[in-house]
Amino acid sequence: MSDPSPSLHLRQRLRRGRDRLATALITAGGIGVVAALLAIGVFLVVEVLPLFWPAPADTGADVSWQALWLPQSYEGYDAPQHRWQPTVTSAEERPQYGMTPLVWGTLKAAAWALVIAVPLALGAAIHSALFMSRRLRSRIKPTLELMEALPGVVIGFIAGLVLAPWVERHLAGALAMVVLLPPGVLIAGWGWTRLPAPLRRGLPLGWAGLWLIPWLLVLVTAALALAPWLEAGWFGGDLRGWLETRLGLEYASRNAVIVGLAMGFAVMPSIYALAEDALSGVPASLAEGAQALGATRWQTLWQVMLPAASPGVFSAVMIGAGRAVGETMIVLMASGNAALMTLSPFDGMRSMAASIAIELPEAALGGTHYRLLLLAALALFVFTFLVNTLAEVVRVRLRRRYRRLGGAP
Amino acid sequence: MMPRVLPRRRWGEGPWPWLAAGSVALSLLALGALLLLLAGRGLGHFWPAPVALVELENGHRLAGEAVKEEPPGEEASGTRGRERLYRTANRDLDAGSWTWVALEAIADVSHPSELVVLERRRWGDFIGRLVAVERDGRALGEGASAWPVLQARLDALQALRDEQARLRRESILPLAARLAAGPDAEASRELALANARRRALQAEADRDRLVLESVDGRRLEQPLAEVVRAWRPNAMSPLEKLAAWGQGVWRFLSEGPRAANTAGGVWPAIFGTVLMVLLMSVLVTPFGVLAAVYLNEVAHQGRLTRLVRIAVRNLAGVPSIVYGVFGLGVFVHGIGGSLDGWFFEEALPSPTFGTGGLLWASLTLALLTLPVVIVATEEGLARIPDHQREGALALGATRLEMLARVVLPMAAPAMLTGVILAVARAAGEVAPLMLVGVAKLAPQVPVDGDFPFLHLDRKFMHLGYHIFDTAFHGGDVQAALPLVYATALLLVLVILVLNLTAIFLRHHLKVRHGALPRV
Amino acid sequence: MLRRGKVRRRWLGVLMLVLTMPMAMADEVVGTLGAVGSDTLAGLMLRWGEQLTDRHPGVRLQLQASGSASAPPALMAGTTRLGPMSRAMSDAERGDFVEHHGYPPVAIEVARDALVVVVHRHNPLEGLRLTEVDAIFSDTRRCGGEQAITRWRELGIERPDGPLALHGRNAASGTYGLFRQRALCNGDFRVRLDEHPGSAAVVAAVAASPRAIGYAGRNHLTAGVRALTLVDAEGNAYRPDPERVRQGDYPLSRTLYLYLNLPPGQALPGPERAFVELILSPEGQETVTELGFVALPQATLERQRRRLGLNDAP
Repeated sequence: MSDPSPSLHLRQRLRRGRDRLATALITAGGIGVVAALLAIGVFLVVEVLPLFWPAPADTGADVSWQALWLPQSYEGYDAPQHRWQPTVTSAEERPQYGMTPLVWGTLKAAAWALVIAVPLALGAAIHSALFMSRRLRSRIKPTLELMEALPGVVIGFIAGLVLAPWVERHLAGALAMVVLLPPGVLIAGWGWTRLPAPLRRGLPLGWAGLWLIPWLLVLVTAALALAPWLEAGWFGGDLRGWLETRLGLEYASRNAVIVGLAMGFAVMPSIYALAEDALSGVPASLAEGAQALGATRWQTLWQVMLPAASPGVFSAVMIGAGRAVGETMIVLMASGNAALMTLSPFDGMRSMAASIAIELPEAALGGTHYRLLLLAALALFVFTFLVNTLAEVVRVRLRRRYRRLGGAP
Repeated sequence: MMPRVLPRRRWGEGPWPWLAAGSVALSLLALGALLLLLAGRGLGHFWPAPVALVELENGHRLAGEAVKEEPPGEEASGTRGRERLYRTANRDLDAGSWTWVALEAIADVSHPSELVVLERRRWGDFIGRLVAVERDGRALGEGASAWPVLQARLDALQALRDEQARLRRESILPLAARLAAGPDAEASRELALANARRRALQAEADRDRLVLESVDGRRLEQPLAEVVRAWRPNAMSPLEKLAAWGQGVWRFLSEGPRAANTAGGVWPAIFGTVLMVLLMSVLVTPFGVLAAVYLNEVAHQGRLTRLVRIAVRNLAGVPSIVYGVFGLGVFVHGIGGSLDGWFFEEALPSPTFGTGGLLWASLTLALLTLPVVIVATEEGLARIPDHQREGALALGATRLEMLARVVLPMAAPAMLTGVILAVARAAGEVAPLMLVGVAKLAPQVPVDGDFPFLHLDRKFMHLGYHIFDTAFHGGDVQAALPLVYATALLLVLVILVLNLTAIFLRHHLKVRHGALPRV
Repeated sequence: MLRRGKVRRRWLGVLMLVLTMPMAMADEVVGTLGAVGSDTLAGLMLRWGEQLTDRHPGVRLQLQASGSASAPPALMAGTTRLGPMSRAMSDAERGDFVEHHGYPPVAIEVARDALVVVVHRHNPLEGLRLTEVDAIFSDTRRCGGEQAITRWRELGIERPDGPLALHGRNAASGTYGLFRQRALCNGDFRVRLDEHPGSAAVVAAVAASPRAIGYAGRNHLTAGVRALTLVDAEGNAYRPDPERVRQGDYPLSRTLYLYLNLPPGQALPGPERAFVELILSPEGQETVTELGFVALPQATLERQRRRLGLNDAP
């Protein structure tokens, strides 16, 4: 009681020490965690390096940088070929390590996924940012985010074992659907303008996302009903034959379009979420200004909001591309895994991610095949990392621009 | 292109908004169709389907459940009409358990109520008539009286099975564990005794036999011990069917897979998924929060920190398979191999940790979800206004006290959101697990009564991998499909619930901190 | 509930003690068996695993099925002691094993299987000559296929017309390796061939399209597809019947193996011994038939039992 200062002093020092210790621990831990994350890239580089350095011959591997990417001449073929056939069944064979088809397949699958996903996602983003009623929007956004969480293995299973056989059987019906849906929706819009005003108020554009669903169902049914007639009238009764003789396209049941549909469905929500954020983040003053000058909402969108939000939309598409390139299970289950290099949308392909998933457990540790699969992983890593960084940088710029334009973030 | 070209009074906003609305509707439709498909096929499988007795024009008779109908294929136009697929079961009598029947060839379809369906442990289901129940060769019930007797015997059999299971659980497995630890004469003797008792129970169960007859008149002797359950779908009332449906769903959730994953349930897969995800969250939460606190509160906010922050954010976009490759190379072969060399040398050449397993899978997924947690936590930390921190410091708190008493509690909901999002992402990931440790069948869940209770080195089953495996590797793909649908539905439900929790939490967080200005 | 259980337990205890005194055996088997290898054998291994646990409750089997090619490295690295393979080990694989361990692995024949070439059930094609199989599936045509066959018309089929859609397995599987060896003479597969990650997927794909043709394990046959008769160079036709496969006449028949890492002179450890005993027993072989494979001839079973020093079957 007489002299509290020593214990106080001691406690003070203890607190300071503890604080310093904690700070040091947090620093060490934080740096450690971040380093562990970044170690992924380092690990891949270290494992891939022995393929090419010190010298390819030292590893006993028959690969060189050129051999991986350029067509090679193999026994039994007239012309040099791109072939990926890494396992051999007899000792005289030599494995064929042409990685170009894998890269091609990866990009092709991703491209088709984007062809499906981007229009859908941007359309949905525009509708929900501009036209949708507030109440509906607060429900739809989380719903589409839930869609993002659907596991790839489920989508892949549906695409590979349900969608692919169905489309093969109802090829004309599927085509009719693609042809019929957009005009059908437009007809709905036109019909809506002809409705008496009370009915129109009952079916506002803000809720069109919901009340168009039954109409879409009608359209789908109509497309399926019209399909045989369409096939008989325009394609000589056999769409597949027509595709083959007129366009020279062979239809494989697991093909780029199926993969695109499935993967488009999978990446669409992430593109949507980011694009919607970008659009709804455009400062209100801009849009209000345009509308005050007599522009419709669509004109405002096209001439004011989209230019302002374009970097955000771009980065959304980039993120989607990153996801599509790395998606494994969907491609593995729905693409057919034939290492083809064709442009045809009705051919299958083999992607790098699917090859890694299915071949790496069997590849001998440290062998050429193992390291090549790691090279594929490194390529995926670098590609997605770069794409995401680009997207991130653009997004940061965009945020700054909004702040300058509108004040509020 | 420009909506201007269309007169505004006719089109309202022009045609384009309708296309935009259409894409929302189309996405919702696709999502709804997917969920409906999963729910319909997955849950419908457990409903006891009526068994049809089909008489063909050529005099053949068959009994089975109608599965699906197909229109004539384009290739075979003109020659064939619609066809229907029947599940006729009886794989030990016929070669296969499925029959395609052309609708034109059917003379008559009836649904006699005496047709029974038996679920058996071997040769799949039986569909046909029950002739007699015998015990040691003497008939206990014949004809019409056989059915009630069968029910009674099945109940008795269940009691024997329960007893066997209890014996296995309570004496045999612990004894086996003791023996596995080293030679132990007493345990060995006790185990022999327990096993003998179990065999005697088995012998008791083997005394009952069924005499069965297929609808085309072939007889079959069936040991009752191999019958799991029996029902007469045509004689069941809707209420009974509902009860049977509920039971079927419960058995699917609570039992292990049988018949090479084409029958039975998914309990080990549910358990494996949940356990792996739990372990992952235990690993990812502290590290994620630590890194976020460091980046946001401790590190000097310079260019480097900003770069690191962007890099971490981008790692969330790196494909999961790349993390799987890292896990295989570093955790399994690198760390696992070294651990085996140091601590489990006596077990070599069989690896303990040098092969894929629960620990490595959890670690890999923890790494995969680390960016998610870091980003979410950072967002929570950034929302906390600086004056809160300054206030705490001004009152004499050290930085540790400020962090622990003021900042972290305020950021707690954000952390929680991050962890739940991480869990939702991890529960659906399959590709990395294919590299670091799922097994096709591991009926032994990785937690049991043996020390150390939680076996981190074991392989485990996973719902997502189970879907892939059963659909692509299973023996009879037609038989496996309904279970694949059901498993997929289950996985989707688990993930939806987790995500909804995260959304709810985030909403809650926004309401609570809505008044705070964003930084 | 509790009381009833207790009473029943006591009653059973007494009964069992009386009944089982003479049956009590020494040497109970306990332990965990790990197996890495063929996914063709996966279903069979799982069922044997279940039966093994039924016989010896203290034993369990853990299986990792990712393809036959994964068995030799796993056996060599010691990741596992059991390597189920749907083909014999190649000389290179055996050589690696010997180099690493100093003794060869023990091969046990466990069942016979056959690969079947399947078409949709509506496809009118009855059979194929082996040279035609080569001409259909191979780019290099080393097995005597003269002209590449890419359209059904070239096989004399009117409907379906159009190109053949080819389906097969991925490269890591023994099914792939066997087909490539026997039907393609180690030639290259056509690039335009869908490589599915499982035989069930191949069958499902063929069952969905009348234009499809593919190869898969015989045990995956379902009602949606039909197996083709194969005709060899001398004009003998072979259907993939159990008897043909058991005798090994059918050109694409094969033996399924279980490889063991067992140093020479040592006896099989308990769990492994119990497992092999089960496989070679009548019960184990009935499971083989049940799952769509073909059981081994009696003589082969007995020869192997003797070689491994197992008791004769009861």
